[in-house]
Amino acid sequence: MAAATLPAWLALQPAARTLRAFCTAVSPATRSAIPSPRTAGRTSRYERPLRRKALPPRTEKMTVDLDWPSVYPVAAPFKPSAVPLPVRMGYPVKRGVPMAKEGNLELLKIPNFLHLTPVAIKKHCEALKDFCTEWPAALDSDEKCEKHFPIEIDTADYVSAGPSIRNPKARVVTLRVKLSSLNLDDHAKKKLIKLVGERYCKTTDVLTIRTDRCPLKRQNYDYAIYLLTVLYHESWKTEEWEKEKTEADMEEYIWKNSPSEKNILETLLQIKTAEKDLEVNKEELLGTKEVEDYKKCVVSLKNEGDNEETLSQYKESVKKLLKLM
Amino acid sequence: MDPGRLLHTGSQAPQSLAAHLDNPAPDDSPRAVSRTSEKDPVKTFSEACLMVRKPALELLHYLKNTNFAHPAVRYVLYGEKGTGKTLSLCHVIHFCAKQDWLILHVPDAHLWVKSCRGLLPSTYNKQRLDQPAEASIWLKNFKTTNERFLSQIKVQEKYVWNKRESTEKGSPLGEVVEQGITRVKNATDAVGVVLRELKGQSSLGGFRLLVAVDGVNALWGKTTLKREDKSLVAPEELALVHNLRKMVKNDWHGGTIVLTLSQTGSLFKPRKAYLPQELLGKEGFDALDPFIPILVSNYSPKEFESCIQYYLENSWLQHEKAHTEEGKKELLFLSNANPGQLERLCAHL
Repeated sequence: MAAATLPAWLALQPAARTLRAFCTAVSPATRSAIPSPRTAGRTSRYERPLRRKALPPRTEKMTVDLDWPSVYPVAAPFKPSAVPLPVRMGYPVKRGVPMAKEGNLELLKIPNFLHLTPVAIKKHCEALKDFCTEWPAALDSDEKCEKHFPIEIDTADYVSAGPSIRNPKARVVTLRVKLSSLNLDDHAKKKLIKLVGERYCKTTDVLTIRTDRCPLKRQNYDYAIYLLTVLYHESWKTEEWEKEKTEADMEEYIWKNSPSEKNILETLLQIKTAEKDLEVNKEELLGTKEVEDYKKCVVSLKNEGDNEETLSQYKESVKKLLKLM
Repeated sequence: MDPGRLLHTGSQAPQSLAAHLDNPAPDDSPRAVSRTSEKDPVKTFSEACLMVRKPALELLHYLKNTNFAHPAVRYVLYGEKGTGKTLSLCHVIHFCAKQDWLILHVPDAHLWVKSCRGLLPSTYNKQRLDQPAEASIWLKNFKTTNERFLSQIKVQEKYVWNKRESTEKGSPLGEVVEQGITRVKNATDAVGVVLRELKGQSSLGGFRLLVAVDGVNALWGKTTLKREDKSLVAPEELALVHNLRKMVKNDWHGGTIVLTLSQTGSLFKPRKAYLPQELLGKEGFDALDPFIPILVSNYSPKEFESCIQYYLENSWLQHEKAHTEEGKKELLFLSNANPGQLERLCAHL
């Protein structure tokens, strides 16, 4: 009997819905009138408000070329019925697959950027264009930008939903400048690099100063500029105690007055005395081609470290120098 | 063929090298091989053979063309662990011994900078430290090696050892060596005297001097020796090291200096280090500059073949598959043609 009544009840449903569309207050009488063909054993069900049958999800009506920013115009949580992708997320049970998107809490928890597709961003840019000025026509290449504006400042602004617009992270200011665009001579450059230490990158020749010690962004910016100015001027000055720079402080190997030079000079002098060739002087000895070659090899060996190439070059030059075949 | 001279006994490096080499003339076909390990195939094979390899040949070529009026040239053998530097050094020593040079061989300089007992303040110079045990061992070896020269060379100065003993000017060098061996307290000073005399006299041309030091990077590294007050000893405070450093300087002529770098046994150096600058450090490099670096590398295919052949001939390899092509390829792959590694592998077979 239950099976017989069920289709009748279902057939009555559309009528019930239209009925409800007209009258806002659905009286229990009307409600109870409809399921009258039902048996008395189902009384507990009448207290529950009638549930509409679930509509088919919106995804089924979506075409391929629909206007996506209208589906997600703002940041919204993940709606499985509105996103047509068969996304799965979650740790699978044994021999199972990750959970599907319907009713998936994991997909809800994570932030999604469905409101920021490239199409949406393009629309944003179009809208913002009215508020922008034009890029200066003269600065059409990277080199020109670097030449005229060598200092680059990076700042970050943070917006979040909350009672306050302040964010302590927003005070950080990063100043980047290439040392080649600064007017520094050799001594000044070495001194500057020693002064800044870790903040200089040798491969890209970029000095990066990151300031966050002041509470406001403007103050940090001023401080960064001040630091740059001070560094520049200080590195041009030469202090008294800089004369005591020892070999251990040197950044790279300098041949002049090095032990290597002395050794080679002594050796050559001894060779000359052995050959009874007494009228030589140091400059002459040091000026010969073999010694030049040797000097280059030693410098490259010390600066670049050992590898097969430098070592074999060094070997050849020593052989030539000592006239060994 | 005469067996060569007995060069050294009782050190971990080459044991008695009664070499079966033919004339050490250039002979690219490598001969048999010898190993310097605790297994001591010398006793097993009852002979010690060296493989003639390129680095040694190169060195010998230079040696033959040296001009003894020029200051001594320094050759540094370097290479990865187990490639054969020590044995190339031995080959050179053997060649020079055959040619009647005076050999000054330090089998392992690392032994002088670690685990020494009985450091004494030096009798000659108060700031330095003596090592009587090592010095006396070295003197004994020196005596066995160069018996012939000990009576020939005369000291040029008077050396006073203590109130009762002194060596007069003009007495043979053998006396100094004896003094060092008998009176162990003066052994280090005896070594210093020997080195100084040899350096001075080799320039006169009476003999040719070969200075061969294995593990020369020990002279400029750190030591693990401590004084009584637990302060670390720097290498230059050891009298032996100080004298040896003077010896490897090239301010004398009439001979050559052949050196090897060694990571095994070196202190505070990473295992993979084998390049000259890494092992010698700045000080060592500056002291040895200019030198000729000679790379000793792993076996070439031909050398590998001949090594395997030698093992097979002497029935060192007992595994059935050892003489098959497959077996050889496997050994080649496992050892990567590294002589030391190959020897250790074959020891198991």
